[in-house]
Amino acid sequence: MTEVIAQSLVQPDVGLIFWKTIAFLIFLFLLYRYGWGPITEAMESREEEIESSIQRAEEALAEAKEIQSENKKARREAEREAQRILREARESAEELREEEMAKTRDRIQQMQEQAQAEIEREKQAALQELRDEVADLAIEAASKVVRDDLDGERQRKLVNDFIDDLPKN
Amino acid sequence: MSSLAVGCRLRVAVLVLALLGAGAVGGGSTAHAADDGELTLDSIVNNVIVGHAEDGNYLNFDPFATVELPRIMVARTADGALTVDLYGSTKGLLKDGTYGLVPHSEGEGGHEEVITESSALQEAFASKAHLHGDIVRTSGHVVADLSITRHLIFGLLAMGIVLAIFLVLAQRYKRGVGRTEAPHGVLQNMMEVMVVFIRDEVAKPNIQGEKWRTFLPYLLSAFFFILMANILGLVPYAGAATSNIAVTGVLAVMTFVIGLLYGSKDHYKHMFLGPPDAPWPIRVILVPIELIGTVMRHLALAIRLFANMMGGSLIIFSLIGLVFIMNVLFGEAMAFGTSIISIGFTVFILLLKLLVAFIQAYVFTILSALFIGISVEEHEHEEHADDAHAEAPTSQTSGALSDRLDAVDDAVDDVTEPAPA
Repeated sequence: MTEVIAQSLVQPDVGLIFWKTIAFLIFLFLLYRYGWGPITEAMESREEEIESSIQRAEEALAEAKEIQSENKKARREAEREAQRILREARESAEELREEEMAKTRDRIQQMQEQAQAEIEREKQAALQELRDEVADLAIEAASKVVRDDLDGERQRKLVNDFIDDLPKN
Repeated sequence: MSSLAVGCRLRVAVLVLALLGAGAVGGGSTAHAADDGELTLDSIVNNVIVGHAEDGNYLNFDPFATVELPRIMVARTADGALTVDLYGSTKGLLKDGTYGLVPHSEGEGGHEEVITESSALQEAFASKAHLHGDIVRTSGHVVADLSITRHLIFGLLAMGIVLAIFLVLAQRYKRGVGRTEAPHGVLQNMMEVMVVFIRDEVAKPNIQGEKWRTFLPYLLSAFFFILMANILGLVPYAGAATSNIAVTGVLAVMTFVIGLLYGSKDHYKHMFLGPPDAPWPIRVILVPIELIGTVMRHLALAIRLFANMMGGSLIIFSLIGLVFIMNVLFGEAMAFGTSIISIGFTVFILLLKLLVAFIQAYVFTILSALFIGISVEEHEHEEHADDAHAEAPTSQTSGALSDRLDAVDDAVDDVTEPAPA
């Protein structure tokens, strides 16, 4: 009896094989038709999408880096340009200032010279006028004194001699 | 009880007695215990250990109920006509009178009486002997017993669960969850991990080129069915459909048939004509080896899964049965002591079985993929056009395949060694 029952553990049963085959084929068909198709397909499309998005992201990153480096380059250039312009402006300003200064100095000198010349001329004129005035005054005084004694000619000669005898200045 | 019968029983219950560690003592006291009637070593081995592991035409919900399953008999009547007899249960089948019961008796072989009269049947129903006896037709004979059995029910249950899970998940994927957005929830993520694993680690590496797409549905179905059936083996009152050789046999035959249907020309040429670069006397030797090898590896595929699952459940039932055996042999006190150890071991074995459930499902699937991969593999055709020297890489390829096969076999042996030990 033990033997018989133990045999049943390893003896394939015809009915079970029959039903099992049918059941498994139906099971396989149902899963094949309605189960695995959508699942594996969806997973594959998702994987593709993930892969493509990663690739896109990497491309975008590379592009961004390129743009960044370009921007950096452009900025550096702009800075250099700005510095150059500033330097030039400063230089030209300096030049301008020096030019202006020289011009001013010239003008001042000129004005000085003019003023001196004017002063000289005025001085000469004033001296001359003074001399004439003094002469006239002397003549008048002398003429008053010696109106009758002396003629005009003699008196003038006398005064002139006197003036010449006066120390210069 | 003759010593021969004891010897037979010892052979069957070798696990039990080995675990007892006192084979000699057990054998000695068996003769006395067997006479006591009610609880004998025989009945423990048959009912507790083997009875739970074997297939049957009933669902055992002891101590609540025993549900008998429909019987379907294809029979040839006395006048030679073929009929199909359908009954709701074994009881109904026996009450009808067309069929008689041949109960398994304690005696040695011998010719058995066929029970058909109702009084004897009532007695058999009471002791549930009708569920373990043979059914014979009173006139004519049974051609095929296509009755629904518990292992079929468990198999259908496993299929139903797998179908429910994946048809629901498929709808989800169709809606776009998992396609355009991230998979959502524990179930979807967990199943997806396994589906992706089967696809990337099992199907793709073993099947040449893009051909894996053709076989992936089969591999996935087989994997999830076996996994679910194995796990059902851990559920109380349920059992593993995969612990039945018929079920694993059907699965292995499916792998075999797929290999035959989709086999490449190169594979058939190699199988029936031998390696192309070998001299003909060697081919004569190699062809039968190749043929036998092909059949044997599919047979081994069935037996590996069956033996692992059956071994696991036998160990568990044996550990539980040990408590009753101790009761018979040494009395109640010893049985209480044993129950503590038994239950501890049972929990350990159950955990091991959970591991084995996954491992065996994986092993069956990867070997199926490998066998299918071998069948559908095509060699470079330019090499065949060239001379014999150019064919060296071809044989290398098949050499690599058999290496891979050996490696997988080794891995399987390593992994599964603890379970049936």
